Amino acid sequence: MNRPRLGKLARTKGAIVGVAALATALSACGSPATTSAAEGARQLVIARAMDVSTLDPQRGYCDTCQIIFSAVYETLVTVDPDDPSSIVPRLATSWTVNDDATSFTFELDPDAVFSDGSPVEASDVQFTYERMVNLQGSASFLLAGLESIETPDAHTVTVNFADPNSAFLAIGAAPYLGIVNEEVAVANGATAGEDAATADASEEWFLQNSAGSGPYTLAGYESGQSVELTANENYWGDEPTFPSVVINEVTDSSSQLQQLQQGDVDIAMQIAPDALAQLEGVTGVTTEVVDSYNFVYLMLAPGAAGGEALEDERVREAIKLAIDYDGVIDTTVGGYGKTQGSPIPNGFEGSEDQELPSQDLEQAKELLAEAGYADGFTISSAYPKFAVYGVDFDVMMQAIQQDLAEVGIELELTPMEYTQWAEMLGSGGSPITAVYFAPDHMDSSQYVQYFGMVPTGAWSATASVDGAVVNQAEVDGLAQALTETGEDRIATYTALGQEMADDLIILPIVNPQLVLAYASDVTGVEYSPCCNLDLAGLGIQE
Amino acid sequence: MTAIAETALFRAVGARTRRIRHSGWLNPQILVAGAVLAAWLFVVVAAPWIAPFDPLAETGARLSAPSAQHLLGTDSLGRDVFSRTLYGARESLPIAVAAIGASLIIGCLLGAIAGFFGGVVDATIMRVADITMAFPAILLAMAVAAALGPGLTNALLAIVAVWWPIYARLTRGQVMSIKEREHVEASKAIGSSRWRTLFRHILPHSVTPIMVNATMDLGQIVLLVASLSFLGLGALPPSPEWGAMITEGAKNFYQPWIAAAPGIAMVSVTLAMNFLGDGLRDVFDVRARR
Repeated sequence: MNRPRLGKLARTKGAIVGVAALATALSACGSPATTSAAEGARQLVIARAMDVSTLDPQRGYCDTCQIIFSAVYETLVTVDPDDPSSIVPRLATSWTVNDDATSFTFELDPDAVFSDGSPVEASDVQFTYERMVNLQGSASFLLAGLESIETPDAHTVTVNFADPNSAFLAIGAAPYLGIVNEEVAVANGATAGEDAATADASEEWFLQNSAGSGPYTLAGYESGQSVELTANENYWGDEPTFPSVVINEVTDSSSQLQQLQQGDVDIAMQIAPDALAQLEGVTGVTTEVVDSYNFVYLMLAPGAAGGEALEDERVREAIKLAIDYDGVIDTTVGGYGKTQGSPIPNGFEGSEDQELPSQDLEQAKELLAEAGYADGFTISSAYPKFAVYGVDFDVMMQAIQQDLAEVGIELELTPMEYTQWAEMLGSGGSPITAVYFAPDHMDSSQYVQYFGMVPTGAWSATASVDGAVVNQAEVDGLAQALTETGEDRIATYTALGQEMADDLIILPIVNPQLVLAYASDVTGVEYSPCCNLDLAGLGIQE
Repeated sequence: MTAIAETALFRAVGARTRRIRHSGWLNPQILVAGAVLAAWLFVVVAAPWIAPFDPLAETGARLSAPSAQHLLGTDSLGRDVFSRTLYGARESLPIAVAAIGASLIIGCLLGAIAGFFGGVVDATIMRVADITMAFPAILLAMAVAAALGPGLTNALLAIVAVWWPIYARLTRGQVMSIKEREHVEASKAIGSSRWRTLFRHILPHSVTPIMVNATMDLGQIVLLVASLSFLGLGALPPSPEWGAMITEGAKNFYQPWIAAAPGIAMVSVTLAMNFLGDGLRDVFDVRARR
């Protein structure tokens, strides 16, 4: 799907807020949730830097959205908390896939009801999916290639794709595909028609209300302040432990740390690894460091104004070789991170055999000399100034600036506000910038779609001074991967990872670990890539 | 010598001593402020020789506390905070002086023209100045700096844009009172041109209070430059500008030395400037002396 430029940026923005994508292992229908919610049960308070601009599940695209959507809406299937690569039932009790992976039939749970008590039916699924496509929102690409949806009866729905899409079950677990109550949504201005992008008038309503079947309902949202959820009285699954959840906007790690220490909040979602020492030995606070699939990368744009020197592949390789990855990881996240070989993050299919980047100043200098830059050159870099996944971009870019200076490349840094930066990217971009990404679902296809030199690629347009770049090997490889399963698909993704690494446009810098920090009596705080934080799975220790 | 004569003599001597003291130049305020500023001037000139480390290089373990090797500790990139603070003076102080200088030139010129010529010219210039002064300085400077983009040069332009009206207003008042004096009448009477009268006979007499004000403002400007940098509208990384250093320190508030060092440096400069300004006002301002 050809998404508008701003949509792609909004996508990036979505990735930002995964600063500390926490999640609980417990899914709504998976494990037995802690029973209780007796009277006097307390409100759960979470501190988080939020990036919410909309709370319409088919319009939103941010990590905070994932937390809210997965608590308020339910997807057909979800990710097994114990094994993220396997898919387990949620609204659908079972499903069948045809041989060439173009048709997926789901049987809906007859017990499932929305928060207004009406049953979840096949027509709601059709409405939700068609609306997702027709809204042309930031996450609409998730249903790229959707051909038709059939609803033979109220509890059976078949989703058909034009081309094989073996990733669809994984994609179906993305919180943006949470099923919306058609009747309620339509009554408040929503439409799934082809003109939904302009005709749908429900965005405002969705900012303060919800129409889902999840364990919570949206009680209110105040921009820059907080989001409040209350337990869904009509929930058809196990009642959540906390009758009410508030996510407060707390922008920086230091303030979150303080509030957690003081007991003002139960969970602080974006504590930087540097702050870990401060929490050591603090009674009543538990901290853990866990692996993540998030990563931070440099994006090279020869096509951006002033980026001409990067057109030569040897220069891009020299930049890759000049960076002291271990040093940067040490400086930014206190060593709590790993290097990453290609835009497919460690742990995803196709990541195992990638060669990890490492510093080689001699070779970098040689390559620069060959390219005619023996004396180095000056290049500018505008980047958004914030901390994401514990990585402070100011610190990271200054560390890289020092490294590049070693081979004679003078990097002129311009930190920018996010919106200013996004605008700048939309109007030509910066030769070098820093960005971040957290997964939308558990299939590697998203990385090729987003980072590859393919038509849907976010960064292919500025990959050359001659305009958009298309790497046919990646286009073909992606189509092939979506027809495959198992070992074959892994092999294809491995080859795609290598292709993308060889493009030398995306230079992954660090795959950071995440700090989980929470009040010790809260249970179920874990990292999972599907839904960030499953609020319904949180409990209180007896 | 009679006792009366002796007393008279002592009185005379005493009066003379008092006059010297009263002239204010030996005021301890001025001496202390002068010493502090002289020290900073020395730092600005000699930073490369007195700083123990390269301010932009990683020279130690990151976020390490003050020690014998790193007197004021290191920051989140392992750079020496002491060296950065010294080098920071080279960024913060010249820019403040330049901003004051440019504001003075523009403000005095416009103020003098307004005060001397009066009428529509006066009204136009002063209304623009009034409008500019109606905004809080930091707010307007932020708006200008945000429009121009980050960078110290743009921060300087932003400050000049908000600061000139202060001197325009001051100069206008001075010029309007001085132009009624007899020596100005005399100058006109002997046929001097209006511009000559303004620049030869009026402006020189109004310089003192303006200079005193400028001295006191310099401290404010140092703070304003730092504020803009603190907000990300001034110095660009890896500059050791004081405001930018404090921003970094604020992110690491369990390592207080990162923000404290440039903060104390800034306090010392601002305080010294205010002392000096106060002292100079005592020296020059007749009303204050009485």
